[in-house]
Amino acid sequence: MVAGGLAGSLGAMLGIGGGIVLVPALVLLFGIPVEDAVPASLMCVVANSCAAAAGYVHNHLSDIRLGLTLELSTVLGAIFGGLVAAMVAPAMVAVVFGLFTFYVALQMLLLRAPRQEPATLDDYSPTNYPLGISGSFVAGGLSALLGVGGGPLKVPLMSYGMRVPFKVASATSNLMIGVTGAASVAAYALRGHLKLALVSPLVVGVLGGAYVGSLLMPKVPTPVLKKLFALVLLVVASQMLWKGGAGLWPNMLK
Amino acid sequence: MAEHVEVSEPEAAGPEGPAVSAAVMADAHVTHNVVVPTVEQPLAPEVDAEPITQPGAEAPPMGRARRRDRTVAGDRWIARVLRGGAVVSGGMFVVSLGLEALPQSENVHVAIDLLRKGAASMLLVTPVARLAVAGTLLGLKGEWRYTLIAAGVLGLLAIAVSTGIPT
Repeated sequence: MVAGGLAGSLGAMLGIGGGIVLVPALVLLFGIPVEDAVPASLMCVVANSCAAAAGYVHNHLSDIRLGLTLELSTVLGAIFGGLVAAMVAPAMVAVVFGLFTFYVALQMLLLRAPRQEPATLDDYSPTNYPLGISGSFVAGGLSALLGVGGGPLKVPLMSYGMRVPFKVASATSNLMIGVTGAASVAAYALRGHLKLALVSPLVVGVLGGAYVGSLLMPKVPTPVLKKLFALVLLVVASQMLWKGGAGLWPNMLK
Repeated sequence: MAEHVEVSEPEAAGPEGPAVSAAVMADAHVTHNVVVPTVEQPLAPEVDAEPITQPGAEAPPMGRARRRDRTVAGDRWIARVLRGGAVVSGGMFVVSLGLEALPQSENVHVAIDLLRKGAASMLLVTPVARLAVAGTLLGLKGEWRYTLIAAGVLGLLAIAVSTGIPT
């Protein structure tokens, strides 16, 4: 429940769902098999999305139109990713994604003069829709191929690529991840891979954490959120490089 | 009087320190910078608590204000769907955890199982219901493009789940 609470608050504040915290915690700290941890974590992503997005939508922090538009390309990308999963080497994709995430994280951490955010949170209109739509397609595909949520890719995409304020990007990502997460969980549940005894305490913790995170997020300064997000991206990059490396090194050493 | 609400954005403040104003995100291209909270539809406490930053701002035209109110009401419906799903499902999970403390019997096991299945189903349906509500509300406002997009997303998800394509 505590792990769920931490994952929920972090995921709600950054728009990433929380799976990045939960899966390693469940596997490494509680010794739960990955095949059980992943569906449980996805269920928590859905819970996080519902609890946090309720507050963000109520306060008009989520851009519903932008979310709907990007959701369509994300789902298309996820279906495409699911269809081509057997044809591509996930290890290679993981390495490429890891390197890209590493680059984005370093840029967010080290950039001295970051892009100026709009003066007010309502004083923006999303630009560069082609980039946003194609990027969401890629994010959806990667989530199907690698099992990572689209949040770590979609938040920088909206914030840097589409000139959406970081907090709006984070809140909109939170709104979006629930839909694809629910479809993924449904697929796992239909195959009987969803362990409800494991999910119950996690979801309760995540719901509490997400509520706290959604209260905190509007009050936390944007630069702090960006640094936190960059640190999370570094963790994602490490996980992806590790995952990719584990798949590639044995073949290269042969 | 148009009331503006503040959301922490220190990075965004320019040299003149412009007043950070409304967090009106969902309808950015319809009405920028204007939130007209009414007595009947108060904003969330944390937003209501923020100071008025432009007390001299002109009141919006009537038609615009009505559209603003409809947008705010629409967002509240979406928020209600999400919050309702989260609260009911969370409550069912909590009750199921509480039942585990009772002496174990067949009835208790059945109750726990039923509660958890119901809670999980409720949680999974909530984002889908949100999508349907958002599409319907935007359609009612004449923004049929988003209704079609929402219908497209729902259709694609149904295809993916029914055919077993991993998403």
